[in-house]
Amino acid sequence: MRKSIYSCIAALAVVSGANADVKVGNPMAMTGPIPDLVAPMALAVDLAEKHINEQGGMFASGEEYVIVRADSMCDPVASVDAVTKLINVSGVVGIVGPVCSGATIAQAESVAIPAGVVTLSVSASAPAISNMETGTDLMFRTAASDAYQGVALAELALANGLTDLSVSYANDDYNAGLAEVFAEHYAANGGKIHLNEAHEPNKASYRSEVATLGANTENLALFAYYGSGGITLMRNAMETAAFSTFLGADGMLAQEVIDQLGAENLGQATFTTSTSDESTHGYAMWKALATVAGLNPLGPFVPNSYDATFMMALAVEHAGSADRDLIATSLRAIANAPGEIILPGEWAKAKKILAAGGDIHYNGGSGPQDFDANGDVAGDFSASVVQDGAWVGKIIK
Amino acid sequence: MDQLIGYFLYFCSLLAVGGIYSLIALGLNVQWGFAGLFNVGIAGFVSIGAYTYALLTTDTSPLHYGGLGLPLAVGIVAAMIASGLISAIIGVICIRLRSDYLAIATIGIAEIIKLVLKNNSEITNGPRGINKIPRLWENFTEERFYNDWPMSWFASAETWQSIFSSLPRWWWQPCFALSIIIAVYVVYKLLEKLRLSPWGRMMTAIRENEPAAHAAGKNVTGRRIEAFILGSMIMGLAGAVLAMHLRLIEPTNTFDPSKLTFLVWVMLIAGGSGNNRGAILGSFLIWVIWSASEIVINVGIDVIGDFTNIHVGILSTRAGYLRMLLIGLLLQYILQKYPLGILPESRPTASSKT
Repeated sequence: MRKSIYSCIAALAVVSGANADVKVGNPMAMTGPIPDLVAPMALAVDLAEKHINEQGGMFASGEEYVIVRADSMCDPVASVDAVTKLINVSGVVGIVGPVCSGATIAQAESVAIPAGVVTLSVSASAPAISNMETGTDLMFRTAASDAYQGVALAELALANGLTDLSVSYANDDYNAGLAEVFAEHYAANGGKIHLNEAHEPNKASYRSEVATLGANTENLALFAYYGSGGITLMRNAMETAAFSTFLGADGMLAQEVIDQLGAENLGQATFTTSTSDESTHGYAMWKALATVAGLNPLGPFVPNSYDATFMMALAVEHAGSADRDLIATSLRAIANAPGEIILPGEWAKAKKILAAGGDIHYNGGSGPQDFDANGDVAGDFSASVVQDGAWVGKIIK
Repeated sequence: MDQLIGYFLYFCSLLAVGGIYSLIALGLNVQWGFAGLFNVGIAGFVSIGAYTYALLTTDTSPLHYGGLGLPLAVGIVAAMIASGLISAIIGVICIRLRSDYLAIATIGIAEIIKLVLKNNSEITNGPRGINKIPRLWENFTEERFYNDWPMSWFASAETWQSIFSSLPRWWWQPCFALSIIIAVYVVYKLLEKLRLSPWGRMMTAIRENEPAAHAAGKNVTGRRIEAFILGSMIMGLAGAVLAMHLRLIEPTNTFDPSKLTFLVWVMLIAGGSGNNRGAILGSFLIWVIWSASEIVINVGIDVIGDFTNIHVGILSTRAGYLRMLLIGLLLQYILQKYPLGILPESRPTASSKT
């Protein structure tokens, strides 16, 4: 046992010391509660890596851009361990990820910020991340905060004529945060909330919750993950005809929902997710690249993953060397105006401009990706309904 | 050089987390190894310790109660006391249950504790959790500590700032790991003394043959409750140190039974239940397997990719699951090879006194 551990560490030392390449850490929730959502995101990260290496690699010497993937399991303990290994054993220059907000905050506060390493999360949307730093500027994300999605959903509800509803949210950090923002904005703008209750995820039956909530209204705002109770709750609601209209966020936006509940029963279900504005050049470029690679260009947080990977590489290229201390300033420089517009996939063009000492401004497939003072970005959201047995989204303006 | 420092810091983190699991395993050993109490509610006691420490030592925050900003030592002691108190109440109610029933009761109690912590959002910030928990040694670099006593007795704020900026960024990590190891050593020494004392011998007698111990006039229930409380206090201490290490705790994923309760039981059984050294050995061994398996799987996939023609893309996406498979197989191997644990319990013999 001990011998095999030693030989593995020796092999690792050999393998890692072999070539001088630029390593970026990518902790994603490969196992855990949402593997189906994370798999396309990981493919988008790999796609960005491929494009960069195909179009000349990093720096004048053409070093390889290597994404080191780790499993954060959507769990603070595992993500702290995974990022410790990425930063100390693999020696990465920055972190692209993780996926879940709890994992992101834990690894940032426990490992990344003390080590001075930039974290660029692909999908962590907790409002708490905006103000989590004091005195450092190392926390960025390419996904809009829940603070915006909750507001967008509330406005959608009012625009659709839902003047009263009940709210049920799964008692975890993502859904509870979203429900709170939604309820506040909806009530502040004239909507009436009859009941606002948490439910425990992963229960076998939600009949009692549905009966309580459905007493006074036909409309339900549901914040849950489809795989850990969301589908069960909707099924119980439909069986007892407690609700006719469902509203919710991206935890419920999966094909599995249609497969299990039946498209004919989901006529009045609308779920929002973060999306890209399809009228932008950035999205058009991204859509072409994604279609060639066989990815769904509008998959949840898939364009955000591509953008984050690409922007990290641009930041390292802008900094001129794989030096952790320079990444934060470079990240802001390449993401924000002024500069020549760079779209997804235009690595060779960006590299030439940076080599000549110019400035660039990246506009991504998921949005313009301009960082504000807190490292956050604004975002667009879409509302999806079932059409012909699949979710079809329309952007909310 | 940087690479070597990196390996050293990873080694420090293995020591730190292995040490935290060792403390939990030592606490469990008091309950299971000494007293034969089948406690499957470890996550509950660890979470009480962690939350007590977090609520007492963080800065004031609008999101949760307090943040009383008390010194770290107060937080740690309070964590142990809180865990001990709650376990006293539970012990008085449940201790008469036989092994399987005690297991069921403690599982239920652990879930109740976590749900109470999750749903009292005004006090604990609910599922969003508490962050910015101060970590021993690293807290000295934070402004609210060096501006205040006792650090301000020794030097002014500017002096402290210049001292810290002259140290390398990671200076506190080996200090933190060493502190945990010292804590494990101290707890180990105390428990060894306890085991070899008359109290320890009485616990063994109660565990092996309860009617006989009863007949000899020993207060079996009282002793069992004592062991339960002592084990829980050590778990509370471990919870406080876990909160320090993670700096963010939340009630759903951090205290997930499959990673906390189940893993600690495997550590204790694999290392040797009843043997304090076994508890420590089992913890470090299983944790190193758990953590290093990710590196092993990734290196393995790279090696397969480099030396054969197999396309490794499919393997990389499944690396997380392959790792779970590897851990499961290794655990199976260890438990089959050492059914009594790697270091089985050693009872002091009659001649060892002389």
